[in-house]
Amino acid sequence: MSAAKLERLLNLTALLLATPRPLTAQEIRERLDAYPGDLAAFRRAFERDKDALRAMGFPLEMAEVPGREQPIDGYRIPKDRYYLRDPGLTPEELAALRLAASVVRLEGTSAREGLLKLGGLVGDADGEPGLAVAALPGGPDLGPLFGAIAAQTPVRFTYRGEQRRVDPYRLDYQRGRWYLTGFDHLRTAERLFRLDRFESRIDALTGPRFERPSTAVPGGAIEPWQLGEGQPVEALVLVDAPQAPWIAQHLGPDAVREERFDGSVVVAMAVTNRDNLRSFVLGFLDHAEVLAPPELREDVIAWVRAMARAEAGTAP
Amino acid sequence: MTDSDSVDPGGPATPGGPADPGRAGDPRPGPGAGAGPAKRTTASDRFLRLLTVVPWIAAQDGPRLEEVCERFGMTRKQLLDDLQIIPLVGLPPYTPDTLIDVTIEGDRVWLRFADVFARPLQLTPDQGLALVAAGAAWRELPGADPEGPLATALDKVAGVLGVDPGDAVSVALGDTRPGLLDSLRRAAAEHRRVRIDYYAYSRDERTTREVDPYALFADEGAWYVRGHCHMAGGERLFRIDRIYDVDVLDTRFTPPPAAATPADGEVFTPGPEVARVTLELAPSARWVIETYPVDAVDERDDGSLRVRLAVSAQPWLARLLVRLGPDARVVEADDEALLHAGADAARRVLARYEREDGDGPRPR
Repeated sequence: MSAAKLERLLNLTALLLATPRPLTAQEIRERLDAYPGDLAAFRRAFERDKDALRAMGFPLEMAEVPGREQPIDGYRIPKDRYYLRDPGLTPEELAALRLAASVVRLEGTSAREGLLKLGGLVGDADGEPGLAVAALPGGPDLGPLFGAIAAQTPVRFTYRGEQRRVDPYRLDYQRGRWYLTGFDHLRTAERLFRLDRFESRIDALTGPRFERPSTAVPGGAIEPWQLGEGQPVEALVLVDAPQAPWIAQHLGPDAVREERFDGSVVVAMAVTNRDNLRSFVLGFLDHAEVLAPPELREDVIAWVRAMARAEAGTAP
Repeated sequence: MTDSDSVDPGGPATPGGPADPGRAGDPRPGPGAGAGPAKRTTASDRFLRLLTVVPWIAAQDGPRLEEVCERFGMTRKQLLDDLQIIPLVGLPPYTPDTLIDVTIEGDRVWLRFADVFARPLQLTPDQGLALVAAGAAWRELPGADPEGPLATALDKVAGVLGVDPGDAVSVALGDTRPGLLDSLRRAAAEHRRVRIDYYAYSRDERTTREVDPYALFADEGAWYVRGHCHMAGGERLFRIDRIYDVDVLDTRFTPPPAAATPADGEVFTPGPEVARVTLELAPSARWVIETYPVDAVDERDDGSLRVRLAVSAQPWLARLLVRLGPDARVVEADDEALLHAGADAARRVLARYEREDGDGPRPR
């Protein structure tokens, strides 16, 4: 971008921000007096400028100019869609935000540009040496989905071979993956989607704003044994001492029903997916067992019995 | 409300605990603390920066040039170049009272007639998400101050973006117990050795060892500490949720030079000395090849797979086979014991249940 083009884009932005009504291309050309004199050359340059502004996320609006005999479109940048409302961050808050963003980084996005708009880089970015660093995987759909959540507008994407129209409620990062929770119009129910299983890019729809349910959308831990439908069944699982601290920490103190003298614990788990519960408990090998209910316990026993038999038959 | 129709758990269960790969002991580096290569400033970067810097300077009473440079991460030359352009910007008829007026006196700068640029451009969704996700991740950490400056900053930013800070984005970096992450972080910062009570998942054993912690990071839903393990005699990774206790010792260590730490994005490649097995997997067990490093995959027309992979320790394979059940079969193994690892483990599990069944499940 030459200095002349930089100057022109700044003046174009100022003109479109200041105008109370949409300005036609011809009016812009006359007032700005920064475009080539030749009409065809002006049109090409103006098109490029509009594209550049839109690509940078400017809310450039096209609307009919009022009071004209012949309908004609004009352009403006509405102030309320351009100006960032001042959140009034204190220097301490800016510094805390900078530190958090320097340590937890979302791939493919720049927190830095956001920080500049909010008041600049305050405080120390590096923090202390040895400080934890977390990189969250990014993706082309994350930003648009977040935008749609904020705007409360629906999105469309292909999932499991079907086109879904979804009112997006929230994004959750769990166990290394991003999930979207929202109201699925195809299923007419709230659903959870894994972003890495989307089969298309998302389309942000310009439909009317949807109303978020007033009750809090369930978020929090999405555990494999909860990925099923129907009424949850409470399973009681005994975990031996060596892994007892881990399970207690993972499920939280409320899940612990009993702490035994030998250091083992009994935990309660609300189960809607039996296969995943069995798989999870078998991950402890013989250091854990399902105590109740009997049908879940029998399920594990039948599974390992079949395996012990099958292998016994084929072993040399 | 979750739903099995729309969500595939990505493998029957990878809860980040006992049922995912035992990485500790694997020399798999995580994302490093490097800042990455500096981005070259493009012309549109300069345009956007001007639209951000101008409102800020205009709102102050003559800030020092140096302060502007620091706050906006620019050099003095960049700022002075920008201040050359600004007096040419304004509104028709572009007379002195409608152009932005720049005054530089000593090392301070004033802008007047810049009302049209009273505020910077709104945050893009990407910029908003980067900040909200970082803030949400911090908020979930044990010991986070719910009324501290980060929490209040996050509330304010979320308010500007029009989202509920607690209900639009949540980020769970990994399980940790209160205090543990802080102790390790302090030890890494002060270069002090630690003694940890550690559950080695792939070997299924609990050990006490001394480690020089170099750095902490979160990856794929778990926290790790990377450091020199004095028991193993080399650099290792430890999952922090499997550290049950930590003692920060008085012994100091010298961290290796930054260049010696592994580069970002390197993936653990098991060496030839590690035993291999060949498995036949049903189509539903495809998640195995998406989860673990494999040497070779042969896919059949019916969707079943023949996979060759490294086995770092027998309990790891046993666990995988017991969870897969009829969906997996060992067809070849470097080590005879690995051929029967699944059945042996299934018998041990069965023995436990049958023992319990003899007395009936414990009544309590």
